[in-house]
Amino acid sequence: MTAVTSEAGAPFGAAPPSGGEAIVTRGLTKRFRSGQVAVDTLDLSVPRGSVFGFLGPNGSGKTTTIRMLLGLVKPTAGEYSVLGLPQAEALPRVGALVEGPAFYPYLSGAANLMRFDAADPTAPRATARRRIAEALERVGLSAAAGKRYRHYSLGMRQRLAIAAALLGPRELLVLDEPTNGLDPQGTREVRALVKEIASDGTTVFVSSHLLAEVEQMCTHAAIMRTGRLVAHGTIASLSGGLAARIRVETPDAAGAARVLGALGLADVRTDEGGTVTAELGGHAPERLNAALVGEEVAVRGLAVVRPSLEDVFVRLTGEGFDVDG
Amino acid sequence: MRRGTFVRWGVPIAAAAVIGAAIGAGPVIAAVSGDPVLPERSAEQLLADAAAATGKEGGIPPMSGTVQQTASLGLPSLPALSQAGASSPLSLLSGSHEVKVWYGAADKLRVAMPTQMNETNLIINGGEAWYWDSATNTATRVSVKAPAAPTHTPAPVPQTPDLTPQQAAERLLAQADEHTTVRVINTAEVAGRPVYQLVLSPKDAGSLVQEVRIALDGETYVPLQVQVFAKGSAEPAFQIGFTQVTFTPPAAENFTFTPPAGAKVEENTLALPEEAGRHAEEHAERAKDVAGEAKVVGDGWTTVAVVPFDLNDVTAQASQEGGEGAALLDSVLASATPVSGPWGSGKLISTKLVTALLTDDGRLLVGAVTPEEITRAAGVK
Amino acid sequence: MSTAESATPSRTTSPATEATTPPAGGTATATAPGPGPRRTPGLVPVTETRGTAERTPREPEPGRAGGPAAPLPRRAGAFWRLLGSELGLTFRRPRNLLMLSVLAIVPIIIGIALSLVSAPDDGIGGVIASVAGNSLMLTFFAFSFLVLLLMPVTVSVVAGDALAGEAGAGTLRYLLAAPAGRTRLLLVKYLNAAIYAYAATAVVALSSLLTGLVLFPAGPLTLLSGTTISMGEGLVRIAVAVGYVGAAMAALAAVALALSAFTEVSIGAIAATMVLVVVCQVLRAIPELDVITPYLLPARFTDFDAVLRAPIDWAALWDGLLAFAAYIALFGSIAWARFSGKDITS
Ligand SMILES: Nc1ncnc2c1ncn2[C@@H]1O[C@H](COP(=O)(O)OP(=O)(O)O)[C@@H](O)[C@H]1O
Ligand SMILES: [Mg+2]
Repeated sequence: MTAVTSEAGAPFGAAPPSGGEAIVTRGLTKRFRSGQVAVDTLDLSVPRGSVFGFLGPNGSGKTTTIRMLLGLVKPTAGEYSVLGLPQAEALPRVGALVEGPAFYPYLSGAANLMRFDAADPTAPRATARRRIAEALERVGLSAAAGKRYRHYSLGMRQRLAIAAALLGPRELLVLDEPTNGLDPQGTREVRALVKEIASDGTTVFVSSHLLAEVEQMCTHAAIMRTGRLVAHGTIASLSGGLAARIRVETPDAAGAARVLGALGLADVRTDEGGTVTAELGGHAPERLNAALVGEEVAVRGLAVVRPSLEDVFVRLTGEGFDVDG
Repeated sequence: MRRGTFVRWGVPIAAAAVIGAAIGAGPVIAAVSGDPVLPERSAEQLLADAAAATGKEGGIPPMSGTVQQTASLGLPSLPALSQAGASSPLSLLSGSHEVKVWYGAADKLRVAMPTQMNETNLIINGGEAWYWDSATNTATRVSVKAPAAPTHTPAPVPQTPDLTPQQAAERLLAQADEHTTVRVINTAEVAGRPVYQLVLSPKDAGSLVQEVRIALDGETYVPLQVQVFAKGSAEPAFQIGFTQVTFTPPAAENFTFTPPAGAKVEENTLALPEEAGRHAEEHAERAKDVAGEAKVVGDGWTTVAVVPFDLNDVTAQASQEGGEGAALLDSVLASATPVSGPWGSGKLISTKLVTALLTDDGRLLVGAVTPEEITRAAGVK
Repeated sequence: MSTAESATPSRTTSPATEATTPPAGGTATATAPGPGPRRTPGLVPVTETRGTAERTPREPEPGRAGGPAAPLPRRAGAFWRLLGSELGLTFRRPRNLLMLSVLAIVPIIIGIALSLVSAPDDGIGGVIASVAGNSLMLTFFAFSFLVLLLMPVTVSVVAGDALAGEAGAGTLRYLLAAPAGRTRLLLVKYLNAAIYAYAATAVVALSSLLTGLVLFPAGPLTLLSGTTISMGEGLVRIAVAVGYVGAAMAALAAVALALSAFTEVSIGAIAATMVLVVVCQVLRAIPELDVITPYLLPARFTDFDAVLRAPIDWAALWDGLLAFAAYIALFGSIAWARFSGKDITS
């Protein structure tokens, strides 16, 4: 990871830098011919085995980054490495869903998968049928395998795209907004699928503009804003940046506030609904509970409130999580 | 722009360069490489050798090839020409035309003019001649009494039997010397064969002709090409010559013709020659009339012919006959520029090679000369 | 939006890496200042993430991490598998089949029309007479008609759609991510278009041949030169004409493919190719421009009539094939230069 030089956009392949990164980028930049800088000196590092959430509002450059990683778009500057391998070597080990499904409407689901399998020069023809059946099975499309893609529903199309990403043994799965267009049930299924895939040791790089979704399934995250990276780390470290708070529901708000203040908790606040919150600091919630009860403060409910990634985002950018230019 | 982009686009650019080089290679190499490919010859030697070679028994050796004629006379853009069919004689005035020639002996000749999905053929074999036109599906048998020497290859030297070739050449050059510089180029190629080019350049500045080049095959002395260059233009204004030629006897099938089943056969009906004969007589008479009044001004390359000419007569006749002649006349006249001078006034039609002046007092002056020269000639009453 | 959790945090991720220095800039430290030394937030501002990536929480599978993996074997015949897939797509697509059937029907219509026209035996022109006179002649007549527009349209629809269509539908990004390889995909696309060009040519020839045999007398064939050849030799000449016309259409396919690499709208590439063909046909009809005619691709399409001369005008066929090869090389390399460096943003 030293010489950041040479021709722009060359995947720096060769030796994988510092061991186990599935994706590394250095100063990755894409300026479109329109002048739009979609990705601006992005330094990203995705550990192997992680479920990496790539977050950002619409238009923040997530898809463009993914296109660069897949060799679809040539970076204006910077370098990247996928699985530490040269592009042609890396891509067969990468399953990808980029900006929604795209298939041949006049072919069946299975025939579509056969088409993309044929495009991979490392995919053995002999096992194609079996692998396609397995991939369809995995996304729950076996019953619709013979149906023309034209007649698929939005959710089925999304699943077929995920199935296409699972056609071979993958070391890295790149999923760009995989839950787009899915109903809540479908969203849950995708989340479960991602967890299952990750449990096999496959690295999953999943982009989303839905913060909650990433929080629920990812171990790591990076947050983009107008092409720039604003935060990068494990989920815990990201949300840990904001102090967790304890929330006490009680009829005796004044008493609770007094007890918590006496214990040294900072920023004690009382809401009008009779809820008292305070920064948890290093205190153990169960001890606080015991202390409250010991002071004869009736506790109806007690919870630790962790800040969401959205809070993190708002804190970092001072702006709401809307659409980027 | 990144380096990779340049490298990538270098490939089609290189491809274009290679293709361009391949297209231009023949003429360019021939023109650029100044190495003499044939031993040097003086004009006199060349003409003598040519006369000797073609004059001897057998004459032109058996050969076959493709003859192409190109004319870019710089005629005004003529819609009539565009409309004229490929087989119309008028079409020869512009564009390029190709015929295939098979020559077996003095009485064995086939000339084919291929056009799209059609072909006309003239096949002469001994005393028999056939004209075949696939467009009308007609085979016409023409009796030829005395098999004449083929006329498609202009004989470069008048064959005077009582002169040795050497003498003939000397006499010819002596005659030419008054108006013409003659030189020989021995580095050119025509249809891939080394040729001697006899270059005739007018000495008179009033001529529109820069030079005339006659290419003689280096081995057989058969004329392979004639080019006429106009002043101030690098491309020949008129050119006829072989684009491909082989000096091997053509297959015998080329000279045998049997009318195909289903074709119309017009045997012995020499409709064409008869009519032509009649026309020729008429023309000859007219020509005699005209010749009586016609005169020639100047000499050599700057000769200007002056004939009485009544525009109204001609226009009337042309429109009577109708067809492409009238259209051509119209468009030519439309392109004429009015001029006037001490000699009078008239309409000037100028092309790269020929200038014509139609005076209002009813004379037509034509010559391969500059407009100044022709108006000077108009002043000579 | 906040997430409430039970008293015991269920998050099992490793404790945050503790930054050794307080984060620079106001963003991360903007939280309310607490009493005493605050726990340093784990949030790592971007400026400090460079090269200090988090460690993996889960051990990657042995043999996967560390050191480059063993290279995946490229399967023998993978190129032909992709070509087969491409051909399957082309020849199963209803639109393409429809165009082939139109090409099959037109010679039948021409044949029937000519057989009606030529019923009175006299006073008709050479071409109609010769078509009516021999069953093989219809093939050449159909070619001379279809080669002007209908066959070029058919071929440029397939070739012009080849890249632009996939780009427009978005399937191109998945093919390239598979990874099909840009040069390899381009080659497959071109071979596919060339094979389709030959298929279209063969369809015209077969349909005309069958129609001719049904409607017109079989027997020796009279050539344009007035020479008569046997029917067997006539069939051989049809085969030569098919070879030539197919090559002509394959050359046009290269032009359409190159245009296809410049757009994501296939109708644009198809229309541009057709405009080129029509403009060339117009230029060709102007005698003053005869100098450039030999370099125009469509001007070579009709030269298949060289097989109808005696002897066969091999020079014309050879010149035509050289021109086709030049067009394929030039436009193929333009397509490659464009496609291999193109950003796929659809
Ligand atoms: N082909 C293109 N030409 C110009 N600008 C583009 C192009 N593709 C994307 N962009 C711009 O780049 C920015 C990032 O887009 P994208 O990567 O698609 O964002 P995301 O996937 O995060 O929603 C947007 O502002 C978008 O308008
Ligand atoms: Mg996106």
